[in-house]
Amino acid sequence: MDHRKYMSILNLDEAEIASRRVFFALTDEDLARLASLRPLAEKITDAIVEDFYGLLLSHPETRKFFPDEPTIRRVKRAQREYFIGLFAGRCDSAYVEDRLRVGAAHERIGMPPKWYLGAYRQYLELLHRRLYAEIKDPAEAGAAFTSVKRIVFFDVALAIDTYIAANLEALGRHQAAIRELSTPVIRVYDRVLLLPLVGAVDSHRAHQIMESVLLNVVETQARCIIIDIAGVPVVDTRVADHLLKTTAAVRLLGAQTVLTGITAQVARTVVQLGVDVSSMHTVSRLSDGIELALGMVGKTIASKGA
Amino acid sequence: MAGQIPILRIGSTLLVSIQIELRDAVAEAFQADVLSEIERRGTTGLVVDISGLDMVDTYVARILAETGRMAKLMGTSTVLVGMRPEVAATLVRMGYDMAGVRTALDLDDGLALLGHVVPNRLADR
Repeated sequence: MDHRKYMSILNLDEAEIASRRVFFALTDEDLARLASLRPLAEKITDAIVEDFYGLLLSHPETRKFFPDEPTIRRVKRAQREYFIGLFAGRCDSAYVEDRLRVGAAHERIGMPPKWYLGAYRQYLELLHRRLYAEIKDPAEAGAAFTSVKRIVFFDVALAIDTYIAANLEALGRHQAAIRELSTPVIRVYDRVLLLPLVGAVDSHRAHQIMESVLLNVVETQARCIIIDIAGVPVVDTRVADHLLKTTAAVRLLGAQTVLTGITAQVARTVVQLGVDVSSMHTVSRLSDGIELALGMVGKTIASKGA
Repeated sequence: MAGQIPILRIGSTLLVSIQIELRDAVAEAFQADVLSEIERRGTTGLVVDISGLDMVDTYVARILAETGRMAKLMGTSTVLVGMRPEVAATLVRMGYDMAGVRTALDLDDGLALLGHVVPNRLADR
């Protein structure tokens, strides 16, 4: 997904960026200090990037993300840009967008957040060592490191948000797909509908089932709807209650419900739980259900030529 | 308030189509009118069409069910027709399933249920 989409999913407008900066204590003073450190940063870039990839290439799992030399050259170049970017001395919308682009790239190649965070730890340690080595005054080096730490954590938060946003987006897509698949109402015959239920029925889905069943009954003027529950793994009191409610609502419209696909296990459970299903027509096999439903619309299944 | 909801007669069946909101007074007048009409004409069937109602609260549901039971005492069977899906869903969620009231999808089905021969029934389309 495009990193600009993440900008809107994460609601990263000016106000949000300002609010984050306050929380991460990333002041204008820090940005000015980072900008002043830029010449030093440029001097130590190569060494830091080399050391950084030393870690990534030494671990068997992270090594897999860098299969060949051209890839390594490309990511090192990107890393140098990223590193220098820390010392740009600005933290505006363009900066955030650039950081999201980096985060999105890691998410896209499937780099798990654990390695991402671990790599940032390495970054901070390398920077710490270099800053104290290059800046003679320890107080000044400390201040420099504090500023670096603030912007790095600001970046880390953006990266983690990118991972989460990507997952949420994928989850949303999957849920929409499941919703579409969950209530397929089929027209078996004139004024006879069939709803084959597959998978667990929770209250959210039960709600949807009722809505979809009622709409379909009215839309097709169905006399009868067959609900086949052979694919529902567990039929407990809650599921039975949902089915009873749907049956009652269907009846209010002037149609009837036939429940099919009742296995021995389900029959046992329903009776043991003491659920009264006498308001529903129930049969074991779908074919019996279809025959029953056809009877309701005045049709019978007969042998050919009989 | 009487006479707000017209009551029609087809053969031995009364036909009522509720198009306006059933407020307390209207609902009571509806019930009284229907019952006196049954008494006057000695009808055997009653079809109440509620396809015009996009909201039915428990009060209205109770009035409808009650009217059906009262009509039954006078030898008239009632069929409630044309309930909207959202109305059905809401009533059932409120735990009101109107047990004992016969229902049908539309006027055709309702009249057929009462033994009327409905010409050109779309069921065989």
